[in-house]
Amino acid sequence: MWGAWCARCHAQDGTGKIAEPTVKVQPMDFTDCKLTTAEPDADWERAIAKGGPGVGLSPQMPAFEDSLSAEQVSAFVSHIRGFCKERGWPSGNNNFPRPIVTEKAFPENEFLILPAISHDKEVEIVGLYEMRLGKRSMFEVAVPAVSVPGDPRAGGIGDLEVSLKHTIFARAQTPRIVSLGLDAVIPSGNDEKGLGHGTAFFEPFISAGAMLGNWYLQTQVKVELPVDPDKAERAFVYNGYLGRDTSMAPNTWTLGVELNGENHEVSLTPQVRKGLTGTGALAMSIGAMVPINEREERGVRWVGYLLWEFLEPLRARK
Amino acid sequence: MKVHGCTGAWVHGCVVLGCIVLAPVMATAQTGVVSGTITTSAKGLAAVRVTIDQNVCGNELADESIVVDAQGRLANAVVILAGVKGAAAAETVVTNEKCRFGPRVQLARPNGNVRTTSKDPILHTTQAQVGNGRTLFNVALPMPGINITKPIGNAGIVRLNCNTHPWMRGWMIVTDEAAAVSGADGRFTIDNVPPGTYELRVWHEALKGAPQKITVAAGKPTEVNFQVK
Repeated sequence: MWGAWCARCHAQDGTGKIAEPTVKVQPMDFTDCKLTTAEPDADWERAIAKGGPGVGLSPQMPAFEDSLSAEQVSAFVSHIRGFCKERGWPSGNNNFPRPIVTEKAFPENEFLILPAISHDKEVEIVGLYEMRLGKRSMFEVAVPAVSVPGDPRAGGIGDLEVSLKHTIFARAQTPRIVSLGLDAVIPSGNDEKGLGHGTAFFEPFISAGAMLGNWYLQTQVKVELPVDPDKAERAFVYNGYLGRDTSMAPNTWTLGVELNGENHEVSLTPQVRKGLTGTGALAMSIGAMVPINEREERGVRWVGYLLWEFLEPLRARK
Repeated sequence: MKVHGCTGAWVHGCVVLGCIVLAPVMATAQTGVVSGTITTSAKGLAAVRVTIDQNVCGNELADESIVVDAQGRLANAVVILAGVKGAAAAETVVTNEKCRFGPRVQLARPNGNVRTTSKDPILHTTQAQVGNGRTLFNVALPMPGINITKPIGNAGIVRLNCNTHPWMRGWMIVTDEAAAVSGADGRFTIDNVPPGTYELRVWHEALKGAPQKITVAAGKPTEVNFQVK
């Protein structure tokens, strides 16, 4: 059926390159593994069933939901997945919605802005760039701008952070993923003004994710090891996220809650995420990190992000 | 609009006495008929060379953008009687057959449904677009015999495309006003028009014509001819 139906626009070899195209928008190259492995099967099934607009893409892709069964649609998705001939790319079924604090296990191509406002009026805005390296690895650099209360109020660049992450296990069907990573914190922030810690850190971590029915479970455990133990203490960080989508659309609302712990300090962070374009390539999340111990000293911290998946189209081409 | 129905005060009588027998008589007495011929000096276009699915579509197909006979009489033009309520069918049907939409041009009722079906053993799509390019729906018809029904909304002029056969084109004029589509002889007829003065507009997918003021008298035919270019 691929040859009779889909190949008219997507080409027999899945490249989307046709000698005499009948559509104005050139389809995605299905042989490009970094594009076709990054999103979950559900998005592909929706694109076939609902047509391009179902996932925010071109309306020139028609809807097949009235002419094909769900099983037939799944079979087409399997066929499309087969155009990526390289082994080892983690399935997009493991690409879960990003929690605000917990480091997700799936390697991404994203740019983020993460604002945070503490109860004591400390404001931090982190610019974060994540770039996929090969099939299973990711490089990340984070640049924080910090403003801390005082007399006078101090502001400037905080401690830079660079990270590497590598996926060591990923399973497509019942989605499970595990990644190992290492953050390195560079003491670029002025510690006398309270903008940084005054020491470098090495922070090895493990991130894991799983689908439990319709629920996303994501966890991360990290150890923060200061190079200069006189400047900062070691910390044991543990984060867990449980959430679910409210619809199948890529721009769905996702509701979730995180448990965020650092040594003896524990918080709960209820949050809501929303795709801002039909493809979900732009998304935002907002949450409140509420301490569940030492509540009076720590107070509520408002957190969130604005996210751009820069390899995804923002919106449909006509 | 070749539909003889009951209108106004006669509705109750129709229900009691039988609509089929009495309605044409009453309509003739109380209303008028607007008919005419649409002509053009434009010529029909060269046939489209078919490069795909020739086993179903043939090697070439007539370009139906302008369907005009030797006397210049134009088919597939729509005349709309402004201000007079009409009654297009609640469901209109578009058939994909031999790689063309049939009918090419038809009327549709606002908030009614359009059913698209195929007789061809190849993949067709029916993409319905409104004037600003927005797609109302785009459905795949991968095999013959499938029927897919979609709401048409209140879209005005709807263009139908097939994404796999780019020459295929269809039009649906969604209106609750009295209207008619000209036949192969360029003729159109709108029945059951209450007496009065109206504006009669003409629409064609490729040609344009000026609207005309007309006066309709009860029990009399009103002949209106359009020249479009």
